Amino acid sequence: MNAVARLVWAYFMGSALTRTLTAIGVVLLGLDVFILLAQPKAGEMLWVGVFGLIALFVGSSWMPLMFARLASSHAARVMPGARAKLLASAFVTVLLVSLPVGIIVPAAVVSDTSGLTEVMRDPAALKYVLKLAAITFTSAMIFAGWMYVVLWMLTSKRSLKGLVGTLILVLLLTLLPVREIRDLSVSTTWNLQQLVVVWTVFGAGFLWWPRVRAGRLRVDQPFGFVNRALSGRTTGREFDVLLGTSNPWLGVMALVVPLLLMTYAVGGASTVWLFFLTIFSTVTGAMSGQVPGRSRALWLRGTWSRATLFSAVERSVWWHNAHVLGALTLVFVGIGLVGGFSVPVLAYGVPLLILGSALSTYLGLAATQGLRWMEIVCAIAVMFAPMLLTSFISNMHASLVLIFALESGLFMLAVLLRHIARRRWMKIDWAVCRPERMMVIRGA
Amino acid sequence: MFILNPQSGIPIYRQILEQVRRMVASGQLPPGTALPSVRDLALRHTINPMTISRAYSILETEGLLERNRGRPMTVASQAKNHTQLPKRLQQIGPLIEQTVVAAKQLQLSETELVKAVRQEWENSDD
Amino acid sequence: MTDAVAASGLGKAFGARQVLQDVSFGVSPGDVVGVLGKNGAGKTTLLEIMLGYTPPTSGGIRVFGHESLEMPGDIKSRIGFVPQQDELLDQLTVRDQLRVIASFYARWDFALIDRLCTEWGVDVNARIKGMSVGERQKLSILLAFGHRPELLILDEPVASLDPIARRQFLEQLLAISADGQRAIVFSSHIVSDIERLANRIWILKDGRLDWQGDLDSLKESIVRLHIRGTGTELPQFRIPGVINVRRDGAFATAVARDWTPEAQRALEKSASVQIEVETLGLEEIFLELHR
Repeated sequence: MNAVARLVWAYFMGSALTRTLTAIGVVLLGLDVFILLAQPKAGEMLWVGVFGLIALFVGSSWMPLMFARLASSHAARVMPGARAKLLASAFVTVLLVSLPVGIIVPAAVVSDTSGLTEVMRDPAALKYVLKLAAITFTSAMIFAGWMYVVLWMLTSKRSLKGLVGTLILVLLLTLLPVREIRDLSVSTTWNLQQLVVVWTVFGAGFLWWPRVRAGRLRVDQPFGFVNRALSGRTTGREFDVLLGTSNPWLGVMALVVPLLLMTYAVGGASTVWLFFLTIFSTVTGAMSGQVPGRSRALWLRGTWSRATLFSAVERSVWWHNAHVLGALTLVFVGIGLVGGFSVPVLAYGVPLLILGSALSTYLGLAATQGLRWMEIVCAIAVMFAPMLLTSFISNMHASLVLIFALESGLFMLAVLLRHIARRRWMKIDWAVCRPERMMVIRGA
Repeated sequence: MFILNPQSGIPIYRQILEQVRRMVASGQLPPGTALPSVRDLALRHTINPMTISRAYSILETEGLLERNRGRPMTVASQAKNHTQLPKRLQQIGPLIEQTVVAAKQLQLSETELVKAVRQEWENSDD
Repeated sequence: MTDAVAASGLGKAFGARQVLQDVSFGVSPGDVVGVLGKNGAGKTTLLEIMLGYTPPTSGGIRVFGHESLEMPGDIKSRIGFVPQQDELLDQLTVRDQLRVIASFYARWDFALIDRLCTEWGVDVNARIKGMSVGERQKLSILLAFGHRPELLILDEPVASLDPIARRQFLEQLLAISADGQRAIVFSSHIVSDIERLANRIWILKDGRLDWQGDLDSLKESIVRLHIRGTGTELPQFRIPGVINVRRDGAFATAVARDWTPEAQRALEKSASVQIEVETLGLEEIFLELHR
């Protein structure tokens, strides 16, 4: 138990930055609870708590990477119960990050309706509040777990193949709760059942993985057809092969297949659609984040100066993205027309797709000094921005002018990011930008 | 032909110099003998050819070797004559110095040392 | 002959950490330079600066007459590099990896690479993902040979190779440098390899070039002195060019630079000592310089 506590502490307090963020998060959350319980009709102050949650979540963002590193380290294989303790520490982290949700949301409802004292006296109201707490807490746990997986994808050096597998897994795991949210049939029991199933499967897989690995598992077989496709496609696109952008069909498949699965599960709920679509556009960010390190192999092999290399790389990345975006747009529009999305949703959703992927692409390209904390924080912000915009778009009462203004803002942000990326590439220093070690861990 | 030790504190070119001088003086390399080319020697011993060609150049200026266009270097016909007595004695100088120092350390007298040398001379007659 | 590489006053700092300081050198065609240094002495950084991967924070460096950061394409095609950490693409086969890299060069010697693949036992149909570290290293080396570069830079190229593979590699490097027109710079911990192959040695210590010159001159310059005094205690004395000294009663061992017979005679007379001179191999020299 000691080891688990120490691990969790390390996740939240691992570096100066995360310590500050965790502290800010805790303070904001505490403040929010106090305000909500003390003041009547202060439900809007929930926003303070939301910021606190975001800070707390970012403060714990060491977790996925540390977890993965420790899990594959020699120590984990040798020390008794190491994997179980790691697993427990991950679970506890998800728990700690979700707990505040189950407190501040009911607190906001309590504040807005009858106030704490009233609720305590009314058994029916109390029961409702507790039920709300349970539901939000368990839903938050599901959501947080998924967010950590996304974070892990962004910060670890997975190949696109690994990304595909993880993405499909993530989607299968979130299919059901999303369906429930749409059908408004979410309940604590159902959430708990899901959590139990997911964590049991993950836990079992995690604990038994070393044994499976030691067996006759041939890793390259499942994706053999992909490898063959790559082999055939090397001629003419060698530049892209070195950068990792040579096979856009892999990216297309990685996104379209899960999307079709989603549609089957969720149906035509456009809100959820857009929500997930913008998440997926950040997959392009993960890919472009690898590009600076991989471009190292191109420096000595061609006529490019650092400036012209950026242009060539940009072209290659957009060639890849164009295929993926094209496929996504087709699927989106097709299903939108069939599922009856409103015209504004279609009109604003497509640019949002492109903007989301442009933002993460240029952010990834700008990460020329490895993924330091600034880049990770920006990546999370870039992920949240389209998500927030999505919720505006699907809210039919939001003013169209506002939506247009916000999207224009995102566009200018993308232009700014491109400018920053371009400037950084003029001075790219490959001594600190290597393909293997994109994550710079200071003070480790 | 040569015993070369790249790890020795003695540079390779010097090892070659000493061995060639000794072999020419002792008659093991008669005049006209062709020496292995720089490239062959470098490949056989897996050493840098520059150190070999340096040795060969020095030996050429000393008059021990002569260059033949298109063909490997050979031992010069005047070689043996060039190795006059003083030069040959100079060759063996370091060994004598070492022996004398060692003998003094072991507190052997001059007579005892000369006696040992004479004995070795007689025993090692091929 | 104009230098292949010329550097003066190179310095490199990563933040507050000064990795290289005041490094100047020249590499001429025909040179084989062995770079020695402790881990963290700055070898990789030096090589990467030479290739334009990273800018120096002070000083300048020119490769074939051009600033390293602004080398045009035709200059870059005359350079080959074997990095310490390979940059192979796991999902490709050896053949595909070779083909991808070959496509970037106007001239690629397929015959040479085929021959070396056979000689070195590299399976062209193997997938890189499943290859051992030694096989990966061999492939990395081949990728730098194919376009027959005039300047070949290798960063610990044989760290993972067995002695047979290392010997094959050395032989190939010798064959490459045989025409005297190419320059090779390689860093290695395997001192015996450097002793065979290099004619010039750079010793990097704490970011500075502690020694920069011929291997032969280095061995002739640095010697170990075994000093024996008469009596039970050695008198005080000063050794010109001393690197380190160890005293033990009536004996002392010292390592000195640029030792001459005159200095020896002078010291023997002035301090009434007997001095025996021991020559040192490269590994001993390196160790003594760091003692």
